[in-house]
Amino acid sequence: MDTLINKFQQNFIEDDRYMYLLKGFGNTLLITLLAVIIGIILGFLIAMVRSTHDKHGGLTVLNAVCRVYLTVIRGTPTVIQLMIMYYIILTTLSNKIVVAAIAFGLNSAAYVAEIVRSGIMSVDEGQFEAGRSLGLNYGQTMKLIIMPQAFKNVLPALANEFITLLKETSVSGYIGIMDLTRGGDIIRSGTYEPFMPLIGVAVIYLLLVMLLTAGVHKLEERLRTNER
Amino acid sequence: MSGKGQILIQVKDLRKSFGDHNVLDGISTEICQGEVVAIIGPSGCGKSTFLRSLNLLEEPSGGVILFEGTDITDKSVDINKMRQKIGMVFQQFNLFPNHTVKGNIMLSPVQTGLMSKEQASQRADELLERVGLLEKADTYPAMLSGGQKQRIAIARALAMNPDVMLFDEPTSALDPEMVGEVLELMKELAADGMTMAVVTHEMGFAREVASRVMFINDGQIQEENTPEEFFANPKNPRLCDFLSKVL
Repeated sequence: MDTLINKFQQNFIEDDRYMYLLKGFGNTLLITLLAVIIGIILGFLIAMVRSTHDKHGGLTVLNAVCRVYLTVIRGTPTVIQLMIMYYIILTTLSNKIVVAAIAFGLNSAAYVAEIVRSGIMSVDEGQFEAGRSLGLNYGQTMKLIIMPQAFKNVLPALANEFITLLKETSVSGYIGIMDLTRGGDIIRSGTYEPFMPLIGVAVIYLLLVMLLTAGVHKLEERLRTNER
Repeated sequence: MSGKGQILIQVKDLRKSFGDHNVLDGISTEICQGEVVAIIGPSGCGKSTFLRSLNLLEEPSGGVILFEGTDITDKSVDINKMRQKIGMVFQQFNLFPNHTVKGNIMLSPVQTGLMSKEQASQRADELLERVGLLEKADTYPAMLSGGQKQRIAIARALAMNPDVMLFDEPTSALDPEMVGEVLELMKELAADGMTMAVVTHEMGFAREVASRVMFINDGQIQEENTPEEFFANPKNPRLCDFLSKVL
């Protein structure tokens, strides 16, 4: 027990080493948050294009572009996409956090798009027809009738995607960002002690995911009111 | 046909094909103000497709549909404006599960700018009272029985103050004991002078309430007449055969 406390002190307290974790934690959160926003906006747009094409035809060119995008993003590793973004495409961008947010956001959008598309397709066609028969236009019908139902159907899958995204940002160190994982690494290379930093980092990720899961659960419950 | 009122809907040589199958094979007819037209026929005959063409939920392959003088098959026509005057009731109700009963009724009048929120709310209360479900205003559709759902669906369509109501087999998805309450409401609507086109298997309703009965088979109107003549003296052999099976 004493050695554990000693190790804890040595790894986290001495020389203010906990600051590495704290700063890394902040960066991880920031990257994830920005990426989630990019992923949701772009993902919903792609899903709208894809499902409009699937259900009613049209938008052939846009749909083809989206499909290529999905294929490339889902067919290559995230860490490669991150490095391509940093070393090849966004070389003029000096803020690494922003580069990472864009890379993870573009990555997440592909997965969000397919999740949301499946949600839209799962809403009965009669809902769409009822909306249109009342004189609502396409956009109103999607916004007021289809999307809320689709969103509710896919909420668990979306939450899953964002949990995955949060953990995937742990490769940010590949472009030299001090995220939570990298923060733990720095402590480990200073103290030559793997146990405390690695377990500490793991516990922080775990707590974050549990918090996220609890939040989504609350939201699901609130959205379920109309079934009671 | 009957010279009751002005012509509301005029259909000329309406055609619809899926691949090389002609679902509608040249349908021409008129629906006048105040008429109640019952549309019957064997399943797959095209009667639902015909009805759904009248508000362009099915896009015709050919022909013309004039609604109050405007050709709604013309691409330059704002179909949303037209649909606001054409109420529709579906076999599967299609209530919006993410809105309350009252929200279902108020949604379109408010969103299309037809009414203010207050006006729509007042109108919704009137309609709920009329269909006898005022106490269900704040519940969600999932809580209603089939018959109640369909009555709400009718109220929702009426909220737009349509000039005509289209019913696509409105009682076919209902338990037998709930058919009556929906038919009763439709009967009241007809008595109030609402123009109605009803695809139905309820021969009793057709006989009792309709001012004209239309038999569609193989994508064509093969016979139409007043209900008395239609049921007493059917001329088309397919109709005779059909009636002998359903009556």
